[in-house]
Amino acid sequence: MPAPEFAAAAEAIVHNIDQVIEGKTATVRLALAVLLAEGHLLIEDVPGVGKTKLAKALARSIDCSVRRIQFTPDLLPSDVTGVSVYNQETRDFEFKPGAVFANIVVGDEINRASPKTQSALLECMEERQVTVDGVTYPLQRPFMVVATQNPIEMEGTYPLPEAQRDRFTARIAMGYPDAGAELAMLDVHGAEDPLVALQPVTDAETVRGLIATVRDVHVADAVKQYAVNLVNATREAPELRLGASPRATLQLLRTARAVAALEGRDYVLPDDLQALAVPVLAHRLIPTAEAQLSRRTTDAVVADLIHRLPLPTDRQRSPYNTRPATPPRDPRDPSPRGR
Amino acid sequence: MNQRRQVTLVAAAATLLATAPLATIYETWTWCIDCLFAVGAVCLAALGTRALRSPMWTQLLAMLAALTIMVTWLFGSKGAIAGTIPTGTTLQHFGTLLSSANRDINDYGIPVPDREGLLFLTTASVGLVAILVDLVAAGLRRPALAGFPMLAMYWIPVLVHPDSVSFIPFVVGAVGFLWLLVTDNVDRVRRFGRRFTGEGRDVDLWEPSPLAAAGRRLAVVGVALAILLPLAIPGMTNGLLDRFGAGGDGQGIGPGGNGRGTSVNLFSALSGQLNLKSTHDMLKVTTNDPSPYYLRIGEADRLVEAGFSSQSSRSGKSVTSAPSTAPINLPGVTQKKYQANITVTNNLNMALLPVYSQPTKFQKLDSSWLYDPNSGLVYSNRSSSAGKQYSFEFLHTDYKPEALRSAKPLSQDNPIQRMDTSVPPQPKVDSLVASLTAGKTTPYDKVLALYNYFSADNKFEYSLSTETGTSGSDIVDFLNNKKGYCEQYASALAWMVRAADIPARVAFGFTRGTNRQNDTYTLTNENLHAWTEVYFAGYGWVPFDATPTAGVAGSVSPAWAPDVNHKDPTGSTGTVGAPSSAGPDGSNPQDRKLPEDPAGASAGAHTQHPSAPMWPWYLAGAIVLVVLLLALPGLRRSMIRRNRRPRSAVGTGVRATAGGEIVDSPPGEMRVVEDAGRAEAARADAHTTWDELIDTLVDFDIPVDDAETPRVTVARLADSMLLGAEAADAVRLIGQAEERARYSRIPLPATGLSESLRTVRSAISHRALWRTRLRAVVLPPSVLRRWRGGLVERTSSVTSTVTRSWDRTTRVLSPRRLIPGRATAR
Repeated sequence: MPAPEFAAAAEAIVHNIDQVIEGKTATVRLALAVLLAEGHLLIEDVPGVGKTKLAKALARSIDCSVRRIQFTPDLLPSDVTGVSVYNQETRDFEFKPGAVFANIVVGDEINRASPKTQSALLECMEERQVTVDGVTYPLQRPFMVVATQNPIEMEGTYPLPEAQRDRFTARIAMGYPDAGAELAMLDVHGAEDPLVALQPVTDAETVRGLIATVRDVHVADAVKQYAVNLVNATREAPELRLGASPRATLQLLRTARAVAALEGRDYVLPDDLQALAVPVLAHRLIPTAEAQLSRRTTDAVVADLIHRLPLPTDRQRSPYNTRPATPPRDPRDPSPRGR
Repeated sequence: MNQRRQVTLVAAAATLLATAPLATIYETWTWCIDCLFAVGAVCLAALGTRALRSPMWTQLLAMLAALTIMVTWLFGSKGAIAGTIPTGTTLQHFGTLLSSANRDINDYGIPVPDREGLLFLTTASVGLVAILVDLVAAGLRRPALAGFPMLAMYWIPVLVHPDSVSFIPFVVGAVGFLWLLVTDNVDRVRRFGRRFTGEGRDVDLWEPSPLAAAGRRLAVVGVALAILLPLAIPGMTNGLLDRFGAGGDGQGIGPGGNGRGTSVNLFSALSGQLNLKSTHDMLKVTTNDPSPYYLRIGEADRLVEAGFSSQSSRSGKSVTSAPSTAPINLPGVTQKKYQANITVTNNLNMALLPVYSQPTKFQKLDSSWLYDPNSGLVYSNRSSSAGKQYSFEFLHTDYKPEALRSAKPLSQDNPIQRMDTSVPPQPKVDSLVASLTAGKTTPYDKVLALYNYFSADNKFEYSLSTETGTSGSDIVDFLNNKKGYCEQYASALAWMVRAADIPARVAFGFTRGTNRQNDTYTLTNENLHAWTEVYFAGYGWVPFDATPTAGVAGSVSPAWAPDVNHKDPTGSTGTVGAPSSAGPDGSNPQDRKLPEDPAGASAGAHTQHPSAPMWPWYLAGAIVLVVLLLALPGLRRSMIRRNRRPRSAVGTGVRATAGGEIVDSPPGEMRVVEDAGRAEAARADAHTTWDELIDTLVDFDIPVDDAETPRVTVARLADSMLLGAEAADAVRLIGQAEERARYSRIPLPATGLSESLRTVRSAISHRALWRTRLRAVVLPPSVLRRWRGGLVERTSSVTSTVTRSWDRTTRVLSPRRLIPGRATAR
């Protein structure tokens, strides 16, 4: 897709969502980048900041199939994936597709469902298919899960299993709107819900084209090396019990491509990786007990790593580097160490 | 053992080790025993008071008391209570010992024998050093400071004897000091409790901690510097390298008799024996004086029964100021100015330098050498003559006998008359003098009569040993037996002249010598000589050599004191060569001036300069070297900058302006670069420009962060540095070029990069302080840091290689490997 068309299409989506969510352009662009990187989005914030609204606005802006699942404690896996029902007319079992059979699936309050139900999402999020009764059904493209969760109120919730957290490409926080945006919101939302009036500005076909364009964005070797170094650094950081997975590396680079394309570049910068490191990596990491006790969030740890990690270049290393090339070793590492 | 106690013991041991350099100045090891006692007493006192947990000042008092008691026991039993508690008498005795030590320091060369005064001085000083070391190391817990008193002990032999101090005593002392440091540090670490290496596992006591790698690196660099730096400095090379090849001291035995080691004994004995075992070259003299007189090295004017001894107190001024030698303006005296250049070999090792009479100007001698116009000696309290090379100008004086004859006797209250005419009562000598000088009226005639008495006609002959007599007096024995060498003749004549109430003294030195090549004389220990000097009012000290010329190689007989055995109408002879051969020689004598004369430097013209001084060249060379070294970083920086000029200045189809506006290729559109080579050149240009920008930032002290992307760096520079709009645009352009060169398919062409760089550089430079600007030009930190980084990397790799191989070796050799469960743990 030529650059002007790409920019126009992307801009149209962002602008459309902006009508519903005021003053959150960066968050909206990140959400769009996740869509273009073929990833899934986890929106985590306190109640009432517009998590669900963002998810719905994103879904509504694209003329594609959208399904919404309200995760409740009594939700069953078959509600998500679908179920085979006996059809008396055909005297056979007939597959009734669940909520995931759509381009965009909005999962509200995902941590209120039991882990049993949440695990139903594992296959479809990673492999974009659903297997029921031994039959595998592929999902449509693009496919994106936009889930919201509330980190404050923990009563009656089930924390997301690590496997599922790793399947979300990025976790974003909405944050409170600033004073001006909140004032404008009162004007706009006072009378009626703008979400109702929101019209799609693009379709699934266009989005597939955008995704193809993003895949073409150039990533220099130095940037790839930087991504690997960054992910490695999370694995070796002494404050983290669990580092990022290779899947995280892939998704980091993919999202970086999308961000670069959204900014009108055909190449990825280390700056893109730095900007994405916290949203893409932080939610997958598990801090050590000591870090938890000292109130170190994984966000802060990743931000620190970015500040410390030297930038690889394809040329000779800078002579002014005074830091060690690799971060300190994990003290829990049980492997024997030579002197 | 209590740690503090251990440090106390080690401090005492280290002090004893640090005394090792004193071995070079003593002949025997008696001092070592004394020092052992003194240090032991101090150490015991320290241990005792510390065991009682008494405060620091009582520790100090106890140590001082212990040292006093020990020194009293060793040296001052006179009047001491129970032999150990000093009384007033003891202290007086100590004062005597100290003054005798002072005398010994002046009189003896190195190595010195066991003189009680010197031993007392040494023991007391070492004891005081031990107290200091103990207080600093164990009391104040600052063992590094203990190095100062220990170093002071090393200085003593170095100052006294600069050329022959071997490096081994220093190493011994240094080992003691290091031992002290290590003990203290181990103690410090132990006080933390368990040793902990940061990995949470137990360690063996002797396993090095990870920090040791840094220590090893420092140690390697330090040792390398300590070895290489002295080699690099020209003046110090002698000091270090020659030590390894230095042999023993030369043993010179002079005719002066009891030549101790390499020095000449300045005592003119009236009896004795001379041993000439071997011949050594002692000096080389080059002078334009056609017939020089004797070289003086010492004088003796204190007459005792056994002979003349030299006085210890001298009052001289530094030779760097002109000696107060004034010409004698009297008829019958001719004075000519000459130049002499003397090279002393290592065989002559004294605190005195041989010079001709009446020197007027010294060259190539430092201010540690003093000239005493009364005795006419050049001496030093610190330096040694061994290996010295120096030159001086002097006045060669000739006296006509008639002129000397006109000299009147000195008045009785003249200090010279008072001091230099005293003789021990010896009636036989007095009567002989009276009979010889009967009828003579002038001092000169009296002296000449006495001088002529020592002739072959009177049966006087030269002999290497005197014969013993029965008179009980050495001089009477000599006058009876009439056999002796120069000391007896010189002393006897001086005694007799003094008995005639005329001031006289004995001078020591070298005869003219017989080994002559052009203007250069080579003088050996066989040329060592003693002769008489007589004082004439107005003329000063005039030399008379009464020794039979046949016995002395290279002696000179001047006109006023002709050879009594070879009467010559010219009145002047000189013997040259072996004792038997004697030939005429038109030599002219010289003498010295009245010491009372005020400072009046002679205004004679310089006759010649034997060699231009070399130090200006060294200085100029050193300055040039320093300037070159200082200019090196700046030159390197400008070279780097020149190498970084962009090479391609043609675009590849992407237009760039200084404002940073870029007509970009859209995402997803593959742009074919027609000329791959040109793209590469543009990439390289962007990289070099960026590198240059970073180096410039480093030069101007603007922080550089490796974790920063070019975009962030540029934003920081453009937005927060107040560079101005133009420079901000320029830096953005450089940043974009680098960013695209690094990460994009298509680089930005190099149009305007070098101009932008110049703009940025001048903006940064304009903003910087003048100091920073100057440093950026002269000592650019970018170059220095790169060098330092390279050095660190290299030393790290070397030390890690060495450490690895050492570890491998020790692991293979270590017996602990055989203990089960130990080898597998690693």
